[in-house]
Amino acid sequence: MRTKTKTTALLCGASVLAAGMAMASAAQADWPERPIRVIVPFGPGGTSDQVTRTFQIAIQENDLLPQPINVLNVGGHYSVGARQVMEAEPDGYTFLTLHIALMGGEAGGMLDFGYRDFEPVATTGQFCLTPVVRKDSGFDTVDDLLAKAAEEPDTLLFGANLGAINHMAGIMLQNSEPGAEFRFVQIGGGAENFTALTGAQTNVSVLSAAEVINFTKLPDGSDNPEAQIKPLAYTGPERNAKLPDLPTLTELGRDVEFCVDSWWFAPKGTPAEAIEGFAAALEAAAETDAIQTFYADRTFGPVFLKGDELQANLDETWERIEPVAKQAGQQ
Amino acid sequence: MEGVLTGLMGGLAIVFTPMGFFYVALGTILGISVGAIPGLSGAMLIALTLPLTYYMPATDAIVLLIGMYVGSITGGLITATLLRMPGTPSNVMTTFDGYPMARAGKPGRALGLGIAASFAGGIISWWFLLLLAKPLSIWATRFGPFEYFTLILMAMVLIASVSQGSLVKGLIAGLLGMLVSMPGIDPSSGMPRLTFDQHQMTSGLKLLPVLIGVFAVSQIISDVLDIGRKIERVESAKSGIMIKARDWWRYGGNMLRSGLIGTLVGILPGVGASIGSVIAYTTAKNVSKTPEQFGKGSEEGIVASETANNATVGGALIPLIAMGIPGSVIDAILIGALMIHSIQPGPTLFITNPDVVYAMIAACLIGNIIMLAVMTGSVNWVAKLAYIPRTYLLPIIIVCCVIGAFGLDNVMFDVWVMLVFGVIGFLLERARYPLGPFVIGFVLAPLMESKLRTGLMMTAGSITPIFTRPIAATFLVIAIVLLVWPLIGEWRRRRAEAAGVAG
Repeated sequence: MRTKTKTTALLCGASVLAAGMAMASAAQADWPERPIRVIVPFGPGGTSDQVTRTFQIAIQENDLLPQPINVLNVGGHYSVGARQVMEAEPDGYTFLTLHIALMGGEAGGMLDFGYRDFEPVATTGQFCLTPVVRKDSGFDTVDDLLAKAAEEPDTLLFGANLGAINHMAGIMLQNSEPGAEFRFVQIGGGAENFTALTGAQTNVSVLSAAEVINFTKLPDGSDNPEAQIKPLAYTGPERNAKLPDLPTLTELGRDVEFCVDSWWFAPKGTPAEAIEGFAAALEAAAETDAIQTFYADRTFGPVFLKGDELQANLDETWERIEPVAKQAGQQ
Repeated sequence: MEGVLTGLMGGLAIVFTPMGFFYVALGTILGISVGAIPGLSGAMLIALTLPLTYYMPATDAIVLLIGMYVGSITGGLITATLLRMPGTPSNVMTTFDGYPMARAGKPGRALGLGIAASFAGGIISWWFLLLLAKPLSIWATRFGPFEYFTLILMAMVLIASVSQGSLVKGLIAGLLGMLVSMPGIDPSSGMPRLTFDQHQMTSGLKLLPVLIGVFAVSQIISDVLDIGRKIERVESAKSGIMIKARDWWRYGGNMLRSGLIGTLVGILPGVGASIGSVIAYTTAKNVSKTPEQFGKGSEEGIVASETANNATVGGALIPLIAMGIPGSVIDAILIGALMIHSIQPGPTLFITNPDVVYAMIAACLIGNIIMLAVMTGSVNWVAKLAYIPRTYLLPIIIVCCVIGAFGLDNVMFDVWVMLVFGVIGFLLERARYPLGPFVIGFVLAPLMESKLRTGLMMTAGSITPIFTRPIAATFLVIAIVLLVWPLIGEWRRRRAEAAGVAG
């Protein structure tokens, strides 16, 4: 029953939005004429898959596009799905969702292509990270942690997925303190690093804010006494609403801001009307209750970028990430 | 304890609503059917169903997926036994003894034992899931890279002991399997290796296409070559499908041991059902009074393999429910299904969504019971599969194999990998290189490598923790014993024989 009420509420919101969209879609009468395919270069169930499918549902339930969207998971290494989109016919019916891994792969030397080989479509939301340590580690602040890493370089075990997001974040963190050096060890993603820290196999890692809340907080927002780990800081531009006591790294005087944006790309040469049309549908979808709830649940920042603003943001991100990813590749 | 009971009642109440029961039953039956088709795996079924569940209430979605999970692991036993094509990777060990038994005219008996063992495995791990989820998942976090490494080393020892015929050929096959697992992303640098400039190879040679190729496609090739020959019609003894009280008694110890192994292996993230059945099978062989029967139609072998692979299902759900850590590939998909419904699996799931937790636990129980009923009810009919002319059966199976290889990741390259490995598997068999060691090498080597290299990164190159960490040292000792025990047995047997001849 509850689901039905929710759907009705969505449909009400949809009609308002649809009115706003009517003008936009009239201008692009030619696109889309057939179903649109979005490739997620990861298996089902992960964050990228959830973002893509939540948008798919929001666009469809609110009739933001006259044609259906099909989401296709291309598993294995993410470069396989990304390359498939890069080489696809640029007819406006193939899109890709991916994140900073694309830049990391290019700068680290493992990919022979990068974000400049695609047409950027939009950025929909971002999640930021938190350095975490064990509660019994004796570290209460990032300063404590990095002081130790500088005092005894290459002794603190930093759990990461080498070459990936958490590795780059770790490098940015250690670079913010002269002489500090972690010893990066291959552990994997969030769940694996939570396990390794809980089992005292590693000393430090980074998790997404949503993972930290899940692993360390009780439903009412208080601390979970059973949790073995604690966050030290937040890599976002502002404090996280669900972790209000956690300072940002910039507040602490460290020039580290690192968030992971969800990017939508199209093959190079895709007609502008398709890119603009799809970006407009995503923008309208981002305003729906479904997406807003999704963002709030996962403490995503509700960023939306398209067009020139997006291009500038991508170039700026590349400037920051390239040297870090190079450093990661040399480990 | 009372809380558990109340919670379980609540979970059963959800599962026994008409829709809830419908979804568990549907999931289990679909799981069995897909599991029984070589090439199609439970992971693929669940991945394909996942988008549909986004439109369903959370508890219905999750009980449907759990039913599929339980069903698919069991369904694979049917074709493993009757056609020597494991329905899913975790049934590989079952082919070693199930198929010889079926060939010897006892397909019903082999299936009956497999079904009973599957049920026993499911129920054993279910009790752990219900009662000990929390302490067990905390225990599992103590598993560092060196513990994993020695655990896998222990399973590797099986390469020597499942080799039929020439030990040297067995070892060569095992090493070939390890070699084939090497291309892809280097686990400690994140860079591609041995990809020969084929960008598809960045993902490496994936488990499913290689396994379908080596076991199903190669079998199809050899069946096609023999197609003119009349199939020997082994008379199937109708009796034997319902296993007797005596069998439960006889195999009770084996089931308990294999169920425990399967549960504990299932809890460890990243170590799947295949490895659970490998370890249980080796252990059963090593404690057996008739180890020489293993690989030739040993009932104990079927029981060990099928109990353990079903037990990993409940085992893998333990860290998922208690801590939000996926214990298997399928669990990772289940987490996605929950999160889409704004349910965050994690240490507080018991507090935030007790209804979902107990619905999962109840679905696991009911799924196993439905599985037992459906399999027992249909087995007489299913066993006839062995007598369908191959000319009808093989084209259908090869189509399913292609769909299965493509459907998992939606990449055509995987289909070519499968076909190439079909030819490789066929040639290996012809040259009498056993496939068992090949598969074990292929499955275990990547895990073993990545764990060892992670461990060495932690210690800056020192291997001593293998001897000093208690769990790791225990596994190491067991591995050595497993390796040496059969040799001692063989030596003593020969000495006794020699003495007999001399006397």
